[in-house]
Amino acid sequence: MRKTILSIATAALFALPLSADAAKPVKIGFINSITGKEAQIGENLTNGVAMAVEDMNATGYNVTVVKEDDGGDPKNALAAYEKLVTRDNVIGVVGPYTSGCSNVVASRADQYNVPLLVPAAAKEEITMKGYKNVFRLNAPANIYSLVLMKAVAAFKPKTIAYVYAATDFGVSTVKTAQENAIAMGLKEVANEKYQQGQPDYRATLAKVKAANPDLVFLVSYDADAILLMRQAKEIGLTPKAFLGAGAGYTTAQFAQQKEISNLVVSASQWTDDVNWPGAAVFGKRYKARFGKEPSYHAACAYEAMRIMIESASKSDNSAKLRSTLKAGSWNGIMGPVKFADYSGFTNQNNHPMLVQQLQNGVYETVYPAQFSKKQLIYPFRR
Amino acid sequence: MMKQTLISAVLLIMAVVLPLLVGENPYLIGILISVLMMATLSSAWNIVGGYAGQYSFGHAAYFGAGAYTTMIMLSVFNTNPLIGMAAGVAVACLIALITGSIVFRLRGHYFALASIAVAEIVRLTVLNLGFTGGAQGILLTDVAFFGLDMNSKNPFYYGMLLSLALTLAITAYIHKSKTGYYLQAIREDQDAAASLGINLSFYKNKALMISAALTSVVGSIYAVYIRFIDTTAVLDLRMSIEIILTAIIGGVGTLWGPVLGAVLLVPLAEALRSNLLGSVMFKYGIVSETSPVGIFLKDGLAHAHVLVYGIITVLCILYLPKGILGFFRRGK
Amino acid sequence: MAPPSLTRIHPMLFLQSLISGLLTGGVYALAGIGMSLVFGVMNVSNFAHGDLMMLGMYMAYFAFTLLQIDPYLSLVLIMPVAFVFGYLLEKILINRVIHHPHQNQILLTIGLGLIMSNSALLAFTSDPRILTTTYSSSSFNILQDISVSIPLLLSFLITCGITAVLYLFLARSRTGMALRATSQNREAAQLMGINVSRMSSIAFGIGTALAATAGALIAPTYYIHPLAGHSFLLKSFTICVLGGLGSVIGATVGGLIIGVVEAMSSTYLSSDWKDVVVFALFLAVLLFRPQGLFGKKEGQ
Repeated sequence: MRKTILSIATAALFALPLSADAAKPVKIGFINSITGKEAQIGENLTNGVAMAVEDMNATGYNVTVVKEDDGGDPKNALAAYEKLVTRDNVIGVVGPYTSGCSNVVASRADQYNVPLLVPAAAKEEITMKGYKNVFRLNAPANIYSLVLMKAVAAFKPKTIAYVYAATDFGVSTVKTAQENAIAMGLKEVANEKYQQGQPDYRATLAKVKAANPDLVFLVSYDADAILLMRQAKEIGLTPKAFLGAGAGYTTAQFAQQKEISNLVVSASQWTDDVNWPGAAVFGKRYKARFGKEPSYHAACAYEAMRIMIESASKSDNSAKLRSTLKAGSWNGIMGPVKFADYSGFTNQNNHPMLVQQLQNGVYETVYPAQFSKKQLIYPFRR
Repeated sequence: MMKQTLISAVLLIMAVVLPLLVGENPYLIGILISVLMMATLSSAWNIVGGYAGQYSFGHAAYFGAGAYTTMIMLSVFNTNPLIGMAAGVAVACLIALITGSIVFRLRGHYFALASIAVAEIVRLTVLNLGFTGGAQGILLTDVAFFGLDMNSKNPFYYGMLLSLALTLAITAYIHKSKTGYYLQAIREDQDAAASLGINLSFYKNKALMISAALTSVVGSIYAVYIRFIDTTAVLDLRMSIEIILTAIIGGVGTLWGPVLGAVLLVPLAEALRSNLLGSVMFKYGIVSETSPVGIFLKDGLAHAHVLVYGIITVLCILYLPKGILGFFRRGK
Repeated sequence: MAPPSLTRIHPMLFLQSLISGLLTGGVYALAGIGMSLVFGVMNVSNFAHGDLMMLGMYMAYFAFTLLQIDPYLSLVLIMPVAFVFGYLLEKILINRVIHHPHQNQILLTIGLGLIMSNSALLAFTSDPRILTTTYSSSSFNILQDISVSIPLLLSFLITCGITAVLYLFLARSRTGMALRATSQNREAAQLMGINVSRMSSIAFGIGTALAATAGALIAPTYYIHPLAGHSFLLKSFTICVLGGLGSVIGATVGGLIIGVVEAMSSTYLSSDWKDVVVFALFLAVLLFRPQGLFGKKEGQ
């Protein structure tokens, strides 16, 4: 009962401008990795979108979402997009999740003239090719390392070591981190790229320990993050700060492992204690509904779908939708959203990323100052 | 004999005019391209796997060689895709030659495992090197090819069709040639073949080279078609297994078996992916979208399509070990 | 790539890599022995081996979370259950392709693996589970600075025990001897009155039990996921080829070698090239010593 009231209340908050009779039916496509290697993160997006659709429909919108699975395969993502725009005749598409799939679909969006709103793929080039129909809500890969380094810059660290998964996100993020580190005058003392899913990273971590870095910059997915931090504790790797770029360092599961995860700093697109409108309530409702904390992917997908529905309902066709998205601005659980052209990007939301630190099992936003309540604890200690 | 040539000609003409009948339907033509692609890959594999009986589990390496060489040539040297394709064939043949010299000394399980190991080494090397784009892959925004509209599907449809026709023609030729007899002798009994004076290593390598070259051609067309490749998309073990499954389910060692396998499996995979069964049932009101069955069709089945694939594989191996064509051959 | 200062031999770093490599290798060995036994007795490459490991991981996880049984203790439960599962799997399905060409056996086990991992995906979702025991990230130090993971050490000791028991079973017991006879020559064993088809079921049962045990042993220091077994599949193949098909001692040594080679290549080469080193080693063994380090059979 409380849940219902809560959801109606929040939904009402978002849907003020629309009266019931204005609701025309809209059909929106959603491409996601429901199966395959990325399915685990994909599920967060599925949940976020499901909540957005329920909320919007509860407030007088009339939305049908056609869900497509790409299995993380770009060929399937393309087939899914072409099915959505030519057979299902959707007005706009949200997705896909992975950078590879988003790259392929984005390159076809101008051909079919159906707007694509990318909710969470990080690869910079998706919105750097000047595509008119491609919009992105989340901040691209280079921002992850940028905010993390800015957050610790005041403490004047001197050396940095990189430990990261041999994936697109891992490599892209570290590439930009290296540029940011050079600009900050940080010296690179170790660079270890690893293949995912190994049971033993001890040798790698021992090598990093021998290099004695001030900062250890990590990019890992889900459970690998826990494995790495466990083994780092075993080996006795104790830098001044562990910096985790998104993904595996921002999950509820990671937070639960207090023994190993305390004081780890991570970059995130979203946190539930940020002072953006509705963020905290979204966190609570999501947890009540799905039995687990939302990841930032869920929040990104929720907000992307909400923006898509709102804009689509105001637009008669895909061309109008494109101008509605381009002209509009929103302020919801992801903070202020505006699709702008700046420093080489087209239709990119200049999303302020957040830095959070695990303090006693809770993610506390610690940077930038205007969005946070707590201070960063530095140096790291066990 | 005449009958077969006639059937092939009719099928070819049908395939050529098909896009004209379908009209402006990129989604459907996209699926047809996938069918042709898998048919060609599977037929090319069939030359070494089916005729020579050498079950390579590493054909993704040759597909990847074509795709990567073409994309690197295009993005770095901005060459014509055909030159990239030719270079891809050369690289694939080189890998085949090295692979052959290692794995053809081995038999049975060892051969299958060694072919996986070689393909995995190729995948990891591409993933770790810089000029291959590593984990980031290679993205190409547009391609020029003799003024054709490369955003349209037709060039790729006909490209894939041409490579399928070529592969089938080569297969048919080999089937009737001396090489074909030798390969089949090797398949049936290597030792007996050797004692008859057949140069095992020469003929096995020849079959692998032809197969690798054709596989890499498909890789090149795929890369230019999708315009984005990474190791997961073109070098994964999954790709190699899919190629073999298609051939096995259709019928190994037959001319049309792999084509039949692709015609059945690719649309099936797409139907499962896009949840065709569910949407048809909802559309005609057979099942309500909110009923438990409907919810399973909508949400559960989306997770289950690889499961269905696994079940089909098991059933096929148990009940149709010679594939569908093999089954009907036996019936005759 | 490592900065130059690290590439010289650093004694502590060397010892640390050696020890963690050996301990991890112990679990690899257990997975390898199971596969080697199936390989030896049935002449089948079991591509579902990694997925059987995954089932063991989930069994350990649910025994711990639902029944509050310690993962190491739960082996008493997991081993018989996995044995029966493997025995039936062989009797009902795999036995039917035992005289088929290798490739069909491989594809059948690939299909079975797909069914197992994707059923797990449906039943348990793709969320990774973490089995957190009180000792999951505990360790002690030897020689000042070399850390030894306690759960890994426990797993290693249990592996040693199981290997010893299995070795005695194969060497002394009636069934064990019959298994070895089947492994050496299936036809001759049959002529001598051994029920070879039952031996196959037993071998697959033991292989499954060992895979599940390896999964359960690694669960407290790893994560549990429907696809978690896949990274162990190709390792297991490498191990049993390295050790020689059907050889328990060979697979044990093979497992330890792979563990150490991985750790050493991470330390002295680069983490991302270590799998390449393992595969290259695999090919080298196939080429130069196809019977493996301890095998007697020709690699045919």
